Amino acid sequence: MLTARVEKIRQNYIDAKPCISYQRALIWTQSHQRTEGKPIAIRRAQAFYDCCDLLPVSIFSGELIVGAVGEFRKCGILTPEYSWLWVDREMDHFDTRPQDPYIMSDDQRRFVREHIFPYWKGQSLEEAFLARVPAETAKIAVDTGIVDNDSKWRQAVGEITPDYQDVLFAKGFGGVAAEARAKLAALPDTDKESLEKADFYRSVILAADGIMRLANRYADEAERLAAAETDAGRREELRVIARNCRNVPENPPASFHEAAQFVWFTQLGGILSENPLALNPGRFDQYMYPYYAADVEAGRLTEEQALELIECLWLKLSEWVWTISANTADYFAGYNQFQNLTVGGKTREGLDATNPVTYLALRATEEVKTHQPGLSVRVHQDCPPEFLGAVTELVSKGTGFPAIHNDAVGYQMLLNAGYEPQDAKDWNNCGCVVPHFRKTGEWTAAVNVNFGSALEYALNRGHSLMTGELMGLPERPASSFTTFDEVKAAFYRQFSNLVHHSITATLVAQKLHQELVPRPFLSACIEQCLSTGVDLSQGGAKYNVGPVITGIGLAVVANSLAALRKLVFDDELVTMGELAEALQANWVGFEPLRQAALAAPKYGNDDDYVDSLAIEIANWYYREVHQYRDVFGKEFNTAFMGISNYLPMGRVLGATPCGRRNAEPSSEGVSPYAGTDCSTPLAAMRSAAKVNQEIHSGGTLLNLRLNHELVSTKRGQANLGAMIQTFFALGAFHVQFNTISSATLRKAQAEPERYRDLLVRVAGYSTQFVNLSKSMQDAIIARTEHAEF
Amino acid sequence: MNMRRSDEGWVMNIQNFSVNDGEGIRTTVFLAGCAMRCPWCANPEGGSLRNPMTTLMSANDVLSQVIRQLPFLRGSGGGVTFSGGEPTFQLPFLRTLSSRLYDAGVSLALETCGTFSYPEAADVLQLMDLIFIDFKHPDPDEHLRWTGRPLALVLENLRDVAESGIDYVVRIPTIIGLNAEVATICRLLDTLAEITPGAKLEFLPYHTLGFGKYEALGRPVPSGFATPSEGEMDKFRELASERGLVPVSYR
Repeated sequence: MLTARVEKIRQNYIDAKPCISYQRALIWTQSHQRTEGKPIAIRRAQAFYDCCDLLPVSIFSGELIVGAVGEFRKCGILTPEYSWLWVDREMDHFDTRPQDPYIMSDDQRRFVREHIFPYWKGQSLEEAFLARVPAETAKIAVDTGIVDNDSKWRQAVGEITPDYQDVLFAKGFGGVAAEARAKLAALPDTDKESLEKADFYRSVILAADGIMRLANRYADEAERLAAAETDAGRREELRVIARNCRNVPENPPASFHEAAQFVWFTQLGGILSENPLALNPGRFDQYMYPYYAADVEAGRLTEEQALELIECLWLKLSEWVWTISANTADYFAGYNQFQNLTVGGKTREGLDATNPVTYLALRATEEVKTHQPGLSVRVHQDCPPEFLGAVTELVSKGTGFPAIHNDAVGYQMLLNAGYEPQDAKDWNNCGCVVPHFRKTGEWTAAVNVNFGSALEYALNRGHSLMTGELMGLPERPASSFTTFDEVKAAFYRQFSNLVHHSITATLVAQKLHQELVPRPFLSACIEQCLSTGVDLSQGGAKYNVGPVITGIGLAVVANSLAALRKLVFDDELVTMGELAEALQANWVGFEPLRQAALAAPKYGNDDDYVDSLAIEIANWYYREVHQYRDVFGKEFNTAFMGISNYLPMGRVLGATPCGRRNAEPSSEGVSPYAGTDCSTPLAAMRSAAKVNQEIHSGGTLLNLRLNHELVSTKRGQANLGAMIQTFFALGAFHVQFNTISSATLRKAQAEPERYRDLLVRVAGYSTQFVNLSKSMQDAIIARTEHAEF
Repeated sequence: MNMRRSDEGWVMNIQNFSVNDGEGIRTTVFLAGCAMRCPWCANPEGGSLRNPMTTLMSANDVLSQVIRQLPFLRGSGGGVTFSGGEPTFQLPFLRTLSSRLYDAGVSLALETCGTFSYPEAADVLQLMDLIFIDFKHPDPDEHLRWTGRPLALVLENLRDVAESGIDYVVRIPTIIGLNAEVATICRLLDTLAEITPGAKLEFLPYHTLGFGKYEALGRPVPSGFATPSEGEMDKFRELASERGLVPVSYR
């Protein structure tokens, strides 16, 4: 049962449209005007400090966890040092754009155009990237939907899991600042390296002092409000808030409430410093439990109070929105910030890790139905039945949460990426489905590559079907291919070229991040950066894992190659030339052929004819990508993640031999193509589990929809639990379920006002269904609904 | 007649991910052929061995399909359920399939209309972990009129199954127009309480999901039947409990 307080905050979260605040950008700009000529790390850190010093402090009604990114309760901010061109170009339509609209007034627009953007002209990461990326890579990689890494040059990296266990809760930011001061004092100042380290430590001190300053300003505000408060109960709450903010994040938390407040201040610091994607609270149940246990033991906290605090934190995590371009919003639809929070699994020692906070986290998500945090669970084969029961019960509520992960495969993925075993056991999720760890620097969603484009160029002389432009390598006409192997060879040649451009685009962005956007605040949250004096952007973390290239369209390409093999080479129903012609015509005039293509074997039905092609492509992709190394000399990694990238990547893709028409969606992760996994979810699971998931250290994703009836009883939930464990025993990493009926989704589409709290799984994350554009909604509805038998 | 072959048989469908015909996740093998002629039947293609909706399959083909599902069946405590049609109608084929799955350690269940020769089928029944046996109408004349087969054999088999020591559930297709009125159900339950005291039973409400199959076979869809309300179903379960019978559900 939600408390009245939480229900009120929740209603506001559901009803309010997010507003853009330019306060952070204004303070940032004015600060940079004062620090010209200083080292870039100092300039960024000083701007952060100034933000903490000057940003309006807002404690909203009923809040128990405080701290706001701007003056609005549901609020997004601007980060012009990363990018502003797109904001300038798009903000006039922020209110009306189909995916993730924001409220911004004409006065605000005028103000930022006059007082903020002019300063950043020529100075932003975006402009630097566009100036430096080679023209032939830009042609493929800038706003094309073929290779896409726009979130890495229009946005900050994010993708960090703050280390509560060994840094933040152990020392507080006060301890971090003290350590940085001591390190700084011990530097000789007589060599290049120590001069750089000195800048780093100064930047960390500014960042740590900044977040402590902000917390103390909140303490002041809470005291001021308490003095004026007429309601005795609220007055006492405000006094507690004031005490909390005096103590954290400067010092280690003294209570569960303080620990929760600390987590939000850390998120807030990360948001103000870089508006990050995927700033992950990590293994919440592990680092929160000691505070819970101590408070409960001492009689200071009840289970219900702890639940309310967790729910308040969930709402905080959901009230700030990630301000992104329309293009990025196509890839990451649903105001999603990807703050991934992981519960369950095993401890570093290998014991079952579940505890009462694990269950409270699941309950909080069930009750508040917020789209944040991205709730992930680690399930191991010997996990307590109650835990699997709680997980499947939450699945049955139809929120799309939690994302369910295989404990053993996450561990294996990190081992493969070079982690020490104990650290690998301690993994948490990052963003949507990336196994990650709190001492890691990694670009976990560095770039997306469109597998379908490679096939398109192989079959269309290197040209785009939709634009006619030469986008791939020149290729001989499809009619000249005489064997299936020749077709595959041409596909891999084109694919190789797209991977090459993905690497180039990423390396250019990585180098620029090193030059332009050091990360003092988040470096302060990572152990090794402090001890070695190296910023995250310079590879300061204990583990620097190579950037992840996400493959989009595995199912489309496997289905297409299978259809092509069957129709042209096995059944000799059609020649290569005729098939190429049909694709050029977008199947118009070739309907019988299209029907034959649709009838060919499809990935997701446990049919080795096509599944073997998916495996081959995925393995080839792994080998191809791992040839390359990033700016730290680390091998690039592969992933088959979701997000919503299969829509924009489908939009630029012409007709494909699987029977798909021009511009229709591509496929996500290792999921079957929507609507073609027509056997059972078990067959879809078997197909997906064949793809050697553990080698793709950037994560793999399978989304399935289940008829709600199937999991509406305890018995149904038990069967679902068994299904999940079997899928994991087969070697898979992740699965997530939408259990809402299509009828409900159609109703929500027709009457969005009545379904504002309806959460659905998009791909790797959940969001409010009504906040998705019409085309996204249609895509969700189109996913095969596996009915009960 | 193929019904005498042990290495191949007529199969209506192999349905993976069945969750209502026994414990856990199951694969249900629907074998064609049935001696009864119930006009409400949801699987009309099971009424004959050979028709546009059935396939002649070898035992190996059936088993190789089932084996792909084993991880899910075992992981969930499920198994294989034989249904139909009437699975004992192709007894030699059923014997081959069930004994080979039994030897592979797969948990087995059988759904039967109750019309078969117990002595001939006893060895196959012994391989089952669970038997679902239908009881459709308590009146001998009405039973013969509706199903085309005598009630006596069904009752005899009910008694034998109950005495066999194999776990069983009596299934009652509950259909307005056939039996779904209090008097008939009471008589049916009284009979059960007498010959299978304390039996588990499941009322299955009439549904029209099989209408598409009638259309596919070019036959008129059943008429004159309807589904009892949830309230009526509750009442019937209550009547069963009053007689010491145990209503169960695989939902």
